[in-house]
Amino acid sequence: MMKKMAQISWIIGVLMISCDDYLDIEPVGLVIPKSVEEYRSFLTAAYSFPKQHKILTTYRADEITLNGDELGVDQYQDIYTWNDLNPNLNTIDFPYAVFYTVIFYTNHVIQNEKEITGDQEDIDQLVGEAYALRALQYFDLVNLYGKPYDESNAISDEGVPIVTEYDSERRFAKESIEEVYKLIISDIEESEKRLNIEQQEIGFNYRFSLVAIKSFKARVFLFQKKWQQSIDLALEALAIKPDLMDLNVDESIMSSEYNSIESILALDLVVSLDIIQNAHVSDELITNYDQLEDKRFSNYFKENSDGNYSSKKGTLDNFKCTFRTAELYMILAESYARLGGDQNLNLSKGYLYQLLENRYTPAGLEAYKNRVEPLNADDLIQEILIERQREFALEGHRWNDLRRTTQKKITRLFDGTTYVLEQNDERYTLPFPQDAIINNPDL
Amino acid sequence: MMKHLIYIFLLFPIAAFAQKQVSGQVIDIENQEPIIGASVYVSLTAVEQERSVVGGLTDIDGKFSFEVPEQAKNLIVSFTGYETQTIKIDQQTNDLKISLKLSVQMLDEIVTTGYQETTLRKATSSYVKVEAKDIKQVGVADVDQMLAGQLAGVWVQPTNGAPGAPAKIRIRGTATLNGSSDPLWVLDGIPLDGNQVPSDFTDKDNIDQLKTYPIAGINPDDIESITVLKDAAATSIYGARAANGVIVITTKTGEKGKNRININAATFITQRPDFSKLNLMNSSQKVDFELFLASRPDLDYQSERGEVARILNSLGEYDDLAEKGFSGLSPEAQAAINKLRTTNTNWGEELYRTTINQQYGLSMSGGNDKNVYYFSAGYYDEQAATIGAGKRRFNLTVKNTYSLNNYLKFGAALFGSQNKTYSYLRERDAITSPAAYVRNVNPYLGLRDENGDFIYDPDLTEISDVDLDYNVLEERQNTSNELIANSFKSIFNLDLRTNIGLRLSTQLGLQFDNERSEQFSDENSYFTRKFELRSKYTDSSGEDLFYLPKGGIIQNSNSNAFQYTWKTTANYGQLFFDRHDVDILIGTEFRERTNTDIDNKAFGFNPNTLTSIPITNDLVLTNSGFKQYQKFVAHDAFTSFFGTLSYIYSSKYSIYSSLRYDGSNLFGVNPKFRYLPIWSVAGAWTLSNESFFSSSYLDILKFRVSYGIQGNIDKTTSPFVIGTFNTESVLPGIEEEVIRTTGAPNADLRWEKTTSINLGFDLGLWGNRVFLTSDYYYRKSTDIIGFRSVPLESGFNFINTNWATISNRGFEIVLNTVNVSNKRFRWSTAFNISSNKSKVNQIEIREEEFTPSRKGYGADAVFAIKTDGVDSNGLPLFKKDGRTLTAVEFYNLAEGTDGSQLTREEHRNLYTYIGDAAPKFTGGLNNTFRYGPFDLQISANFSFKQLVRRLPSYNMTVTSPRLNYSTEILSAGEGSLPGLIGRKSRGFDTELVYRWFNSFDVGNTYDHFDIWIKEISYVRINSIRLGYNLPNQALKKLNISSARVFVEGRNLFVFGTKIENFFDPETYGSQYAQPIPRMISTGLKVSF
Repeated sequence: MMKKMAQISWIIGVLMISCDDYLDIEPVGLVIPKSVEEYRSFLTAAYSFPKQHKILTTYRADEITLNGDELGVDQYQDIYTWNDLNPNLNTIDFPYAVFYTVIFYTNHVIQNEKEITGDQEDIDQLVGEAYALRALQYFDLVNLYGKPYDESNAISDEGVPIVTEYDSERRFAKESIEEVYKLIISDIEESEKRLNIEQQEIGFNYRFSLVAIKSFKARVFLFQKKWQQSIDLALEALAIKPDLMDLNVDESIMSSEYNSIESILALDLVVSLDIIQNAHVSDELITNYDQLEDKRFSNYFKENSDGNYSSKKGTLDNFKCTFRTAELYMILAESYARLGGDQNLNLSKGYLYQLLENRYTPAGLEAYKNRVEPLNADDLIQEILIERQREFALEGHRWNDLRRTTQKKITRLFDGTTYVLEQNDERYTLPFPQDAIINNPDL
Repeated sequence: MMKHLIYIFLLFPIAAFAQKQVSGQVIDIENQEPIIGASVYVSLTAVEQERSVVGGLTDIDGKFSFEVPEQAKNLIVSFTGYETQTIKIDQQTNDLKISLKLSVQMLDEIVTTGYQETTLRKATSSYVKVEAKDIKQVGVADVDQMLAGQLAGVWVQPTNGAPGAPAKIRIRGTATLNGSSDPLWVLDGIPLDGNQVPSDFTDKDNIDQLKTYPIAGINPDDIESITVLKDAAATSIYGARAANGVIVITTKTGEKGKNRININAATFITQRPDFSKLNLMNSSQKVDFELFLASRPDLDYQSERGEVARILNSLGEYDDLAEKGFSGLSPEAQAAINKLRTTNTNWGEELYRTTINQQYGLSMSGGNDKNVYYFSAGYYDEQAATIGAGKRRFNLTVKNTYSLNNYLKFGAALFGSQNKTYSYLRERDAITSPAAYVRNVNPYLGLRDENGDFIYDPDLTEISDVDLDYNVLEERQNTSNELIANSFKSIFNLDLRTNIGLRLSTQLGLQFDNERSEQFSDENSYFTRKFELRSKYTDSSGEDLFYLPKGGIIQNSNSNAFQYTWKTTANYGQLFFDRHDVDILIGTEFRERTNTDIDNKAFGFNPNTLTSIPITNDLVLTNSGFKQYQKFVAHDAFTSFFGTLSYIYSSKYSIYSSLRYDGSNLFGVNPKFRYLPIWSVAGAWTLSNESFFSSSYLDILKFRVSYGIQGNIDKTTSPFVIGTFNTESVLPGIEEEVIRTTGAPNADLRWEKTTSINLGFDLGLWGNRVFLTSDYYYRKSTDIIGFRSVPLESGFNFINTNWATISNRGFEIVLNTVNVSNKRFRWSTAFNISSNKSKVNQIEIREEEFTPSRKGYGADAVFAIKTDGVDSNGLPLFKKDGRTLTAVEFYNLAEGTDGSQLTREEHRNLYTYIGDAAPKFTGGLNNTFRYGPFDLQISANFSFKQLVRRLPSYNMTVTSPRLNYSTEILSAGEGSLPGLIGRKSRGFDTELVYRWFNSFDVGNTYDHFDIWIKEISYVRINSIRLGYNLPNQALKKLNISSARVFVEGRNLFVFGTKIENFFDPETYGSQYAQPIPRMISTGLKVSF
């Protein structure tokens, strides 16, 4: 009897197992990432989400003038006039969800570091990139929706929610700016430990590399006003890639394009078709240039039939730009100037000239030097900030530069009404977008 | 007991040698006419209804004669439509006179659920059955359309008048909010696989897409009967897929006896629809309307469009009209405008037609003790009333059953069909869909000029005013769109029946479907020109270029589906001690299906040389519309274990229970959800079999109750991060593989669970002259899976979650009566009515929603903006809390802002609940009359109190002279219809109101005005059929056993709510729907 029972249960057991086998179908086209190659494709998806924040902040800063008559202007006019309280319904929302979508992807890669199969060097590089990409998301988020970093208030100033693992049921409260920056720095350090590619080849330079992570870290320190650390990192980055494009020699492309020798990380879109069609470059920016001797002027802008200028930086993927070597020189120039002291001022000017001899004609550079050489520290800093404005025109730097420096008063006329953004106006920090608030009551 | 078994086994081979002769005649008890083709079989076994292999069919005189084993005690005589009789043959064996009685409701007729056979007398669950011959209509391609109004609790509504368009079927309401509500179709025990019927058929993309649906390949002529399983006790044996009810199709089989041949042929004429129903303006009205718009400078939307404006502008007199009136125009202008009035293109005739169509069927059946067979061939060809649309189908069916010995039977059935559906080709915005175009095209537009060249519609332009030259004739000539579906189904059975009540059977069903579609557009077609526009780019010199090569566009798709179902059951049924009737069934089922879809596109195609031109421009990579090759693969497997138990005591008390475990391949799904238990219990009490209740006039009185639980899980949600492959280019020139997540991982998702209760009774009186069945049900679906919004910080907007609870309750009544029955005349009536009320008990809504939550209302609740007429300037007035408000007050519009300051919650509060989009009552009424050789059948189906929303016939702020409108627009500004306004029109705050409706009303409240919603009730006489059976005597000489001729009118009348601006009540509100065909048919059916 017992034997029979055993036989029967054996048969049933086999049947159940074979049924489970029958049901184990690996569907074509669906995958649970396991290998480093699959995780690479997964991270590429994270890299590929387009984000508009650099374009939209350009409408808020002082680089462009919006034409009230153009079609579709209603999408931007309340951004342009800093009307955050009751924008019209067609107003484009600043991106928010997409940052956290990318964070979800990076979290998944980071959390599964031990699970990923394949070549260890590839895994290290991949996870290092995931840390870097996550840090970049938080850096962009906190500089859109949090106040500019201020060491004395960073602990109490509210930043953005921090998510390092997936959980749809938890609450997402805002963390302090200090906490967010801590995460950014720690992610960057984790990334530095793992990255093993010094610089990415053209076409793959949307991915992080050692030179990119160091450039990123230099920028973070610059925003934190940690001048010496910023200098150290910029120098480390320059040691890997010091290249600059000489506009006196080659004007065929712009230095901000992904395939220029200056490109370090080409991930962010900076200009949209709408900026070209419904706005023109502001007079303030145009008049900042020495139109004859500064090669950037004709390289960056084209004159329209109405006498206004529009950007030649376009909407195609070619114009993606996040970090490039020129910024390292500008960081060095600024940080040395901020540190003060004659020696540092000279170093500062030295880096400035190193960059600008690739931008001005020799005659222009001579005149420039004559003008800059006698400047004191404060005036030099002022000049460097204007030089940043010229160098990075419509590259998505201006809004952050205004935020972290003067937070100046901006006055603009639109459709017959004058709008003012006061100095240190609260609107230098964006409110969280409506869809984010609707879904998260803790914002 | 064992002893008995041994005896039977021992005796059987011996008994086979001892034979006796039986003979007799079968006649109709009422008219004493012989019944031809009745089956007469010997009953050997204890199970009363089981047919043995010995017997035959009655001949042309209703006579039979054959040898039976000596120990045979009973003969079972049955014929479709008559009550089965059991005749004792222990004494008299020859010259038996057997009179059969017509039955209304066949209490003892076998009902196949697909897993088991039962009878109404025994059943504990709720189902409904119709005979195919009772619902058969000519000119209907598929059986789903024929079910309209025939079955209580089954709501069938045609979605569209196009041939082959599916019917929307809802069995006892909707149990889901965003999943499929289609019932499961079962063919001879094998569940069919196929496309789901889209839930929204007014959507332009669903309605024009050629598709085939699960039952499309089945020839209605092959169908014997259709059984619909409704409550949980009936459907739970089918598992998770049966949540929306099950429709079981039983096909015809051969009968033993001589070879019988049936031939039927029919012609049907599809009438051109009554175009005047659309109430469109004629040329004169349209010209006057354009003159009116031109004379009102405030109505300046697209004011340069339309022929009148073009005439005036070409003569430079546009402004003169507003200043001086028509009489102030130059004679030249007046003449040109008046000439327009005389051109009246009959668009109804250009786009619709009357067609003559045919359908033929041939079947042969017969058999002997070893083998019975059924063979049929069918041909169906329908050209739709809409020019360019149609359907053609070929069918071949072969069924064979071999008796390998006395216990073992083998059956093989093959169903092959080819379905060709063709239609017009229209571009993706559907502005050239004939049904929509005919509403918008100007009546004064011609199609060809004096030279015979095409006249292009100058008023059909793209958004950016790009005129791509559209002419309906050119388009029809130079484009084609067809779908050829080849379907092959085969079913193999092996059946072992023992004498002890044990039956083992195994069934293998194979379904192969191949669908090929081809959409071709020549270079000279609007379709191609519009496609070309998508390839526009600007080169470095600023010149606009197209990368689409010159030539035609051909788009092919090929889809292959294969599924098999392998089912094995063991069934034991026995009657113990004359009163304990026990039936046990256990079984397993394995099912696997694979689908492969391949889409191809080629550009620069030349239909003569069959060559195409590749696109070399890199920009094509970023345009998904030009993707030349796409492939999709799906593969699923299912296993199930199931069992049922039924026990009947003394034919009075029955209980029934079923249990099924469904397992399926769930990639990356929580393994605890791999097997789903689905179960039910049911009981019945046959009161009429109690001695204290029995009565001579009471045939049956039975109460039934059932309870069951069904479950479903979401296969797309996983606790793991699952991705799909794609390619993406982050930087130019490099395409990389990416893996994107399909959705948020969720380990906590629960089953969607539906609990059903059914209470019902069956009552038969006076020899089944009156038969009444009624059911009440309550069905509650909890933890319905749907999207819920989550904090964006999680990385997702929505996750799949258990978010809603819906309940459905309702009743069904079926009343079948024989009103008159005598030798010459018989009149019977079948009536059914059902009502379903759904309620959303619980639902999570999104904060950003514009329309109110359905919580507490029906699943199809309709919310509207209540209007209250118009003010003296034609601006709409609104009703809120008993007060009449202007638009400014109602929407809280304020000067200096862009539109409304309403929060979404306030926006939701603008709406008022006004009713339900599901009808309150649906049903049907069939009357059958027979007078001598004549019979007349009138079938009607009805639907009462259903709210339908239509698209507004005009938009008050954007009325363009380029379009034609329904004449309703001529009354704009009067009564309840909003007036036409522009930015500068008269009235207080008009500009504010104009701007709101013109641009800021993103929730589209204008479309939700109550004036666009109508409560519709209708009764459709879907078929009137008159038949004449030729007298037998005359036919005998020709060796014809029966012949019948008939005429039928389909959809001749609809009574009920007046339908304006649309063709039919069923498709009211859908501007893309083809009209439901009105047909007159005539046919002949001959049997040899």
